[in-house]
Amino acid sequence: MAQDFEKLTRYAKSFSGLTPELESSLIEAGAEIKPKLSGITENFYEHLLSIPEAKTFLEDRVEALKTTHRLWLEGLFTGPYDTTYTEHMYKVGDVHVRVNLPVEFMAGAMTLINNRLIELVVETFGDNKERCAQTLVAISAITGMSLMIMQQSYQEASLAEELEKFLKISGMSRTLFTNLAAAYK
Amino acid sequence: MRSDMLTSILTDLNGSSADIEASGVISTDGLMMAAVLPASLDEDRVGAMSAAMLSLGDRTAQELARGDLEQVLIKGESGYVLMTYAGKEAVLTTLAKPNAKLGLIFLDVKRAAANIAELL
Repeated sequence: MAQDFEKLTRYAKSFSGLTPELESSLIEAGAEIKPKLSGITENFYEHLLSIPEAKTFLEDRVEALKTTHRLWLEGLFTGPYDTTYTEHMYKVGDVHVRVNLPVEFMAGAMTLINNRLIELVVETFGDNKERCAQTLVAISAITGMSLMIMQQSYQEASLAEELEKFLKISGMSRTLFTNLAAAYK
Repeated sequence: MRSDMLTSILTDLNGSSADIEASGVISTDGLMMAAVLPASLDEDRVGAMSAAMLSLGDRTAQELARGDLEQVLIKGESGYVLMTYAGKEAVLTTLAKPNAKLGLIFLDVKRAAANIAELL
């Protein structure tokens, strides 16, 4: 089923509270934050590799993943936070399903990233209480939004995978399943 | 035209025994081709459910090494549901009363299924 990314963007923003003002805060903070992000990526993967359950999913792929991760982090402070961003995060969630990543890894990883970003923001804007607080709220909003989109994608991809399995086991064609579902609408 | 002929076969089947309450011919995709059903039954649901059950029966017979599927029989408090292939593309579903003489019904259903298969 085709995803309505405009609707999903609005939905995710309504929960995360990512307002145009907070979006501007992220972009403004980017000038000072972006040069320091590679340290966060390094630290993030170092931490993940220390978790045995996570390590098995990372081996041999860490360097490639680091590049993607750093680009995504930069995107958090670049914008735009529109349907293209939502579509991208949706695909990221989908990829996580395809590599059979346990669902809790996404929330866990986002917590790690938030922890590191909080440290970095306090270190960078700590002397300006208002800006520091505004940037932290903005980061919480964009990472919350990203997590929501990925989880949505994850849930839909997981259901689609389960359905495929069911159709294979039951011998039902997709058309028959659709007709059966339509009969019980 | 073919639909009328199918309906005629179903009417004959329903008339062959007082124990048969309803019958329908359904595509293996679950769409009703012809039916002689009481108004209380939803054609779409009977169609889709019958094809789904037959499909599952097919897989069960394969999985449990029972050979090619001949029929699926469901017995409930209020009667029987009998599903059988009518050719490769259709399913014949028959609803019968709880005290029905199954031997006779199997025979009539088999004959009707063969006629339907020939027609399709």
